[in-house]
Amino acid sequence: MSSPLTLPATKAARPRTALVAVGAALIAATYLYLVLVQPAEIAEGIGGTSSLITLFGFLGGGALLVAGILPSLSTSSLVLMPLGIALNIAIGQTAGSLGLQIYLDAIGTVLVAVLAGPAAGAATGALSNAIWGLFNPLALPFAAGAALIGLLAGTAARYGMFRRVYLAPVAGLLVGAVGGLVAAPVAAFMFGAAGTVGTNALVAAFRAVGDSLLVAATKQGLTSDTIDKLVVFTLVALLAYALPRRSRAQFPFLRRYRVLAGRTGSATGR
Amino acid sequence: MPRRRVFNPLTELLAAALLVVLVLVVNTWQFSLAVLVAAVVPGVLLSGKPRQIALAIAVTAGPLLLSSFLLHGLFFPEGTTVLAEWGPARVTAEGLQFAALTGLRLAVFTGVLLTAALTVSIPELVSTLTHRGWNRRLVFVVGSAVGLLPHVAERARRITRAQQARGLVVGGSVPSRVRGLLMVSVPLVTGLLIDAAERTQLLEARGFSSPGPRTSYLPDTDTAGQRTARWLLAAGVLGFACAWYAVGAGR
Repeated sequence: MSSPLTLPATKAARPRTALVAVGAALIAATYLYLVLVQPAEIAEGIGGTSSLITLFGFLGGGALLVAGILPSLSTSSLVLMPLGIALNIAIGQTAGSLGLQIYLDAIGTVLVAVLAGPAAGAATGALSNAIWGLFNPLALPFAAGAALIGLLAGTAARYGMFRRVYLAPVAGLLVGAVGGLVAAPVAAFMFGAAGTVGTNALVAAFRAVGDSLLVAATKQGLTSDTIDKLVVFTLVALLAYALPRRSRAQFPFLRRYRVLAGRTGSATGR
Repeated sequence: MPRRRVFNPLTELLAAALLVVLVLVVNTWQFSLAVLVAAVVPGVLLSGKPRQIALAIAVTAGPLLLSSFLLHGLFFPEGTTVLAEWGPARVTAEGLQFAALTGLRLAVFTGVLLTAALTVSIPELVSTLTHRGWNRRLVFVVGSAVGLLPHVAERARRITRAQQARGLVVGGSVPSRVRGLLMVSVPLVTGLLIDAAERTQLLEARGFSSPGPRTSYLPDTDTAGQRTARWLLAAGVLGFACAWYAVGAGR
């Protein structure tokens, strides 16, 4: 939307591909390093080194991603992002304090991703965990995982996984499996897999069978994250279809890729 | 007692972040405990609202500490020194030590970051970032997300009450819980989206997306001394980390 009151932008802002690529590479390298190199170390107590690498690799990669994505976003996407961040934190904090086995801290991220696209979703995920980290340090190193969730959710929306309400949980299940795999080393190396009471019960169950901490955290991540994202994607699909047409009409992403089935194309009355 | 603000919010946040890094670099429970006693406790006491911050820390870190001790104290298959055993649960010395290490680390993280976050003045932080020339899109997103948080919680509470007045029953079977969740979240998200649409137009009318320099209405509280101090602090921690690892590798 261009306004007659301001000068037209001199050039269309494009995403800074180099920054995004470096950020993504940093995150991928951190993950590979953690999985391939560190598991031997955990038996004699987790090293501060691997925690530091996790923190800097994932946070730094997330920061580069955000820096690359932000200039390319439209004002309507930018205004949506704080809303998604606030929803993530408000609902995630409630779910955590209730001791649920799922987190529900990605509702805002997935909502932004569905309404405004994968780039906005990824930036929302990374920023919301960075801000939440100030109130709940547990959230901080999961910023990269949250960005990935936003990216995948936006991509799923773009290719029509939200056109049918029954497809959304399937997309959630797949995204959750990927998210759980990415989050597990973070949980294991930063916090010794400590989480909420609910998720800890799961880790304790796998540990009791004799699994190593990383394996137990991965199994817990796969269990919690798939169920969590299944619930979150379903909720967001229901929310998106319940929105009034006027609210949906302001998002070009919805129209361009026909994200929601049917009536999003026209803004005229029924 | 109102808080006497000494440093710029950016300086305080950086100091908190660097403390977290230091704790990770040194990585012993003794150092974590020392930071907790020497930095976090005085910080909370001097913050001007010690009771509120202490409560927040207890609510965040308490369950974590407890569950960490239960998890690693009882289930630590790598442990060899068994202190007690009930069925699959074994209390091992290694497990307890591991729990103390991660637990104290978590306590320091929570204490440092919460103290910094709960005493920071958001308008002052946003104006400092504007004066320092940070990306204004980032400043807008961060500032308005933090500003929206209490608003979202309050709005959710009001909508819940309104729906309860219409006969919404919270609790009961799973389908009724899901319906209750939707009855609250649909109006909440719709209302927030309509607000966002209006804000988009207001921002556009004020030239949000146009290029060029910006003026902050709030005066710059940052000083050249603090800017230098921030760089020195960061460089100091980096140097310490390198020296620490060099010594550790030589041993």
